[in-house]
Amino acid sequence: MWFPEAFEEFKVLSIFELLREYIKTGRIKLDKSKHPQLTTVHDPCNYGRKSQISFGDHHCDNSRWIVSQCCENMVEMIDGPLNNHCCGAGGGAWAMPYTEERMAYGKHKADQIKKTGAELVIAPCHNCRDQIMKGLVEEFDMGNYKETMYTWELVAESLAYEPWSEEEIKKAHAERDAQFERDGVELEEW
Amino acid sequence: MQDPISIDIKNRRIATSPELADACFTCGTCASGCPATNLVPGWDPRKAIRAIALGLEQEVIDSKWPWVCTLCGRCQYACPMGVQLIKTFRTCRILRERDLVPDPLHRGTMMNFERGNNLGIPTDDFLFLLADLGVEMEEDEKQPCPGFYVPVDKEGANIIVTVNSKEPFAEPDDMKFWWRIFYAAKEDWTISSTNWEGVNWGLFSGDDENWKIQVGRVLENARRLKVKTILYPE
Repeated sequence: MWFPEAFEEFKVLSIFELLREYIKTGRIKLDKSKHPQLTTVHDPCNYGRKSQISFGDHHCDNSRWIVSQCCENMVEMIDGPLNNHCCGAGGGAWAMPYTEERMAYGKHKADQIKKTGAELVIAPCHNCRDQIMKGLVEEFDMGNYKETMYTWELVAESLAYEPWSEEEIKKAHAERDAQFERDGVELEEW
Repeated sequence: MQDPISIDIKNRRIATSPELADACFTCGTCASGCPATNLVPGWDPRKAIRAIALGLEQEVIDSKWPWVCTLCGRCQYACPMGVQLIKTFRTCRILRERDLVPDPLHRGTMMNFERGNNLGIPTDDFLFLLADLGVEMEEDEKQPCPGFYVPVDKEGANIIVTVNSKEPFAEPDDMKFWWRIFYAAKEDWTISSTNWEGVNWGLFSGDDENWKIQVGRVLENARRLKVKTILYPE
């Protein structure tokens, strides 16, 4: 480990831990009725299998629990979280020039998605989301599939919240104005 | 006929240890379960591990195999002998000459080193974009967030977050998902004005030095701004 002291200095949270805490403590409220469609969760290798291998723990259960707070109907892909297939774009492959190989690799993922019958795929990773949403969908029949969302996108879209009070807004605007002045940010038409 | 290869154990470029190639039983569990098997003709995880064990390291390093393999670890998770395939194949990436690393991984890594993010977005542009998107959020028709702005370099904030540079570059509205959650949770959060990149391409390009530098920057920002919590990059 390069910076062991960091764990003494700071609380270090994954997105799953933070979202779970927000939901558990009631800091955010979610409306499940917004996503009635059949939904499946993709497990990014780094959060699932590779966390398990490296740290003896994985995020797949938290990942599913968060989605279950936003969606009525969930279905698992075959192979379960830890033997899950990589989307095909991991390890930097989304950016690399080997498109043909990346797509042939992703066929396994596309088949898994198709077999679930799900309309909505949740991907807690930028690479995985791009590969499923912009890559696989172009080349393969994924059955009932309609869209891919980030986990935090799903949460944001499920939010039930009240706008802030006048007082909170005033305070935020004052802080914002001071920040813009410090940074020399000037917006047009504003 | 080709001369036989003699293995120079002392000067192996990929160290052999019981956890690496030498423990392999050649059972083929790795290759059977690997979605990348034969995507590079002639290569699969078992063949690559055998090649390394038998001294043909350079052939693996020069091949496309360690790059088409996504380092997903399905092989290693199933290996009955605990062979560390992920580490071994990533070491092959480390040993590739930097100017022969598939584009744009090395280029992005160096861009990040020099300018603080993989795509070289200048600080002024970044700050203006955040300010502009903040106003859009306040006035959003579907989910208005009056009072929202992006707190930049806010000392003493609870949480510091990083940004995937593809978002400010190409998909700026996608940053609003997290921002709406922070608004609803009334989180005390901040983004650093510099070195805010959340993607660490040194990990993928096989560049340990830059991998470490990038992790160090996240910590430097957290220390400079005296935050309590780091939300580690997705």
